[in-house]
Amino acid sequence: MFKDLDPILHSQLRLAVMSLLIGLKEAEFTFIKEKTHATAGNLSVQIAKLREAGYIEVDKQFKNNYPLTICKISQKGIEAFENYVNALQSYMKPSDQ
Amino acid sequence: MEDKSIDYQESLQLINSMISKAKNAYRDTGISAMLWGSVISICSFVKLAEVHFHFKLPFDIYLLTLLAIIPQVIISIKEKRLRKARSYESIFLDYIWLSFGISIFLLVHVINLAFVALQPVAAEYASLAGHPSSFKLSEFVMPLFLVLYGIPTFITGAACKFKPMLWGGILFWLCSVITVYTGYEADLLLTGLAAIAGWLIPGIILEKQHRLAKMKEGVLNV
Repeated sequence: MFKDLDPILHSQLRLAVMSLLIGLKEAEFTFIKEKTHATAGNLSVQIAKLREAGYIEVDKQFKNNYPLTICKISQKGIEAFENYVNALQSYMKPSDQ
Repeated sequence: MEDKSIDYQESLQLINSMISKAKNAYRDTGISAMLWGSVISICSFVKLAEVHFHFKLPFDIYLLTLLAIIPQVIISIKEKRLRKARSYESIFLDYIWLSFGISIFLLVHVINLAFVALQPVAAEYASLAGHPSSFKLSEFVMPLFLVLYGIPTFITGAACKFKPMLWGGILFWLCSVITVYTGYEADLLLTGLAAIAGWLIPGIILEKQHRLAKMKEGVLNV
């Protein structure tokens, strides 16, 4: 049996954000935007979806009077990402099933 | 990048590409390595000149290491502000270098105490034996420092896969072994040269790489 893929993660931009954050302690919104080449509006929407799912933690601060958004993957997010990768692997190796 | 569904192959490619982008998030500017490479080599060579040419500066040249903490703090704060992402690797290396700094100052303290404690013992030996002891604690000071210099340098080189620093760490340890058997002047010369090879030169290479990477990103801020 194939495992179901998490619909929250099975989207290009959300998966990119999660893949980036999995290797980092935390990252600023501008860093994620720079690495994913996404527009600020679209990225904000996708980050909000990941936050609502409990996959990331978003901390809004101020730095030199400018808003600063810091994103960090949560434990639930780590588990979801691991499950997603395992599910992907099971799809890639159907003969093992 | 958009909010669109992707196939399995694309998903795996995307994960790999993003993970490698996150890996490159930490890039050392090399400024701290350049600073400490310069300071330690200057201190060693000036001390060597003092010993070799029999003159004495009105102050201890090693006080320069205390002064260098001020620009180091400024550099660290500035680099932290510019850092847009914090990798586990960068946090780990920050703690390694912090523990190195603390260890150096503790070692200086312990060595100073050992010198004070040994003075009456040396005086008693001289009065009993009729000649001063051939044992000189100062001969073992440089090897101890070189052992410590090697630890964070080797770890940084290995963690960042940066060979000049990895070899620099090994060079510090090699010099540590050699300086046990050499005189004080040779110890100072080797320490100065090791600081240039282990910190200053890797620092210059890192700074150049950092500048090139910034230029590629199109955000060169000099």
